Amino acid sequence: MQEQKIYQSAKKAILLLASLIISFCYYSCSQKPDNSNALVNKKYSMYILGKDGKEYIIETNSLESGKILPEKQGAILDAKAMDRDIIVKNGSYYHLNRKKATLSKYNLQNDSLNSTASIPLKDFSIENYFWLGADSLLLTGLDIKGFKQAKYVVIEAKKMKLISSGNLAIPRPSGKFTSMSIGFVELRKNHLFLGYTYHQQLSPSNYTTSDTTYIAELRYPQMNLLKIDKDTRSTYPGGINTVQSYSFNDEHNNYYFMSCPGIALGNRPDLPTGIFRIKAREEHLDKDYFINISSSLINNHAYGLWYLGNNKAIIRSERKDLFKGLSDHYSTAHFEFYLIDLAEAKVLKKLNLPLDKGTRRECVIVKDNVAYIAVNSSTQGNFIWIYNIQTGSLKKGLELAGNTDFIMRIDNLNP
Amino acid sequence: MNINQELIERYHRDECTKEERTAVEDWLFADDFAEELDLPIGENKAEHKTSIWNEIAPTLPKDRITKNHSFSFWKGAVAASLVFGLLGIGFYQFTLKTKNDSPQFVSVDNTSAINVKHLDANGYNISVGPNTFAKINYTTGTVDLSGSMLISPKKDVELRFKGSNEKISLKMGQTYIILNGKTGEDKIIVVSERNLMDLPPVLQKQITNQFSI
Repeated sequence: MQEQKIYQSAKKAILLLASLIISFCYYSCSQKPDNSNALVNKKYSMYILGKDGKEYIIETNSLESGKILPEKQGAILDAKAMDRDIIVKNGSYYHLNRKKATLSKYNLQNDSLNSTASIPLKDFSIENYFWLGADSLLLTGLDIKGFKQAKYVVIEAKKMKLISSGNLAIPRPSGKFTSMSIGFVELRKNHLFLGYTYHQQLSPSNYTTSDTTYIAELRYPQMNLLKIDKDTRSTYPGGINTVQSYSFNDEHNNYYFMSCPGIALGNRPDLPTGIFRIKAREEHLDKDYFINISSSLINNHAYGLWYLGNNKAIIRSERKDLFKGLSDHYSTAHFEFYLIDLAEAKVLKKLNLPLDKGTRRECVIVKDNVAYIAVNSSTQGNFIWIYNIQTGSLKKGLELAGNTDFIMRIDNLNP
Repeated sequence: MNINQELIERYHRDECTKEERTAVEDWLFADDFAEELDLPIGENKAEHKTSIWNEIAPTLPKDRITKNHSFSFWKGAVAASLVFGLLGIGFYQFTLKTKNDSPQFVSVDNTSAINVKHLDANGYNISVGPNTFAKINYTTGTVDLSGSMLISPKKDVELRFKGSNEKISLKMGQTYIILNGKTGEDKIIVVSERNLMDLPPVLQKQITNQFSI
């Protein structure tokens, strides 16, 4: 009798367990496609630096409102493998791991950023990227030993396959110059334009930059040098565009780029920050066009340039009266955003935003009639602000709270 | 062939002749250790052993420590210890030479144009960049630096750098990049390693290359 009871309860237990397992399987099977669909379709991504030094990537569908805590909703990043110098396209992130000399492609899956493919990229430090086509990525860079030799690679991004690579026929630094920087890349039909300049290391904590902006014109895809254009109205054309944007094409294919001689890039504060133009269908700098930012009402240097459409752009400028030097340039809230009229070649007005911190940040996304601007305020918190391009109205949108110290970048996942 | 620090440094820079390369490799992978290191008088061998081990232990892959106690691993560890030992002795000999130094001081003069010196000194982990002179006074919290260094304090500290009146707070466990020129005109730069990307790219490149970070 006793034996039979035990036998029956064991049977019940097995039955119960079996049905539990089946229902669990069913549950997890039915959940999986939902999850992955939701992840694939996200529109925006945010790169967060936490107060404790941890870094996160968060993807979201809306920047309009609400509050996000990176420690709860974000994917924590492996600080050794990842940094915020990334290229974002079609829901994927591309990053060069300098130590491993590997360019990897990442996707956010199940709350973690996973590498899905990679390609070795030896002796290469990325200066600027340019999408030659939907799937064809051009990286320009320098050798990592001396930062003297300009190089390039073309990669098929989908399969992460190397298409071509080589050195660029741009003169290496000579005389007193010790290294160089490439600040922008632009392709017009079969002509490739590369903005660059040279640097001189003065001491372990000090350097200077040539007073000249150089633009090399190369034939693409042969990559042979056609000519070099020079301009001394300002120096340090552009900057590393995996960290921040410095150039764009307008609706009519006029190309604009900003020069950045301020202490955070060129360290030639005696020269003005300016906006240059290469007109559509032309192959040289427009010598009659220059917006002198430093002598405008801004009266400071600027870094970062974003196009709003209809000849309007936003720039991010520093406040030299609020920081002491490079040691507090990133931690002090001193950055302002200004509206520029490119057709009139003048600074229109300051946007009514709190002072922002972080030396270089990719912090503007333009979508239809709205510019989302990420601002790290010391007094008003970390918010995505919503700027209505037509009406000029500004309001607070999504808040990044909790462990957030800096919103380091915001990206459109499908630009 | 006499295996010395200079030769090992050249070996790592890949500047050795074939003959020298073979000699270094034979020495590194030899089973016997006939050439014992001579420590300066008064130095405790056990203390050096522990401090060297403490310094290299965190940089070794964990699974190799726990799973793989193979002979080759120990050979590598011993070889690494010898390299660190040589560097360590160089450093101690320097400090011993400086008469005014007391246990409250640590000073290091890295004359190598390429290599970084790593120290696990009283309360700080320090990496001193190439062509750098650094002197730290623990009692007063003052630092005299010309060159570049990484410093990671084991507790929250305030340091005052020569040439600057300001006290700079460093948090425990974080690594800071400190740069200073040789002349008074150069401003000292102190930033947390996690904000490396906020430094101008020209300085970033110099630091990442020097310290391999």
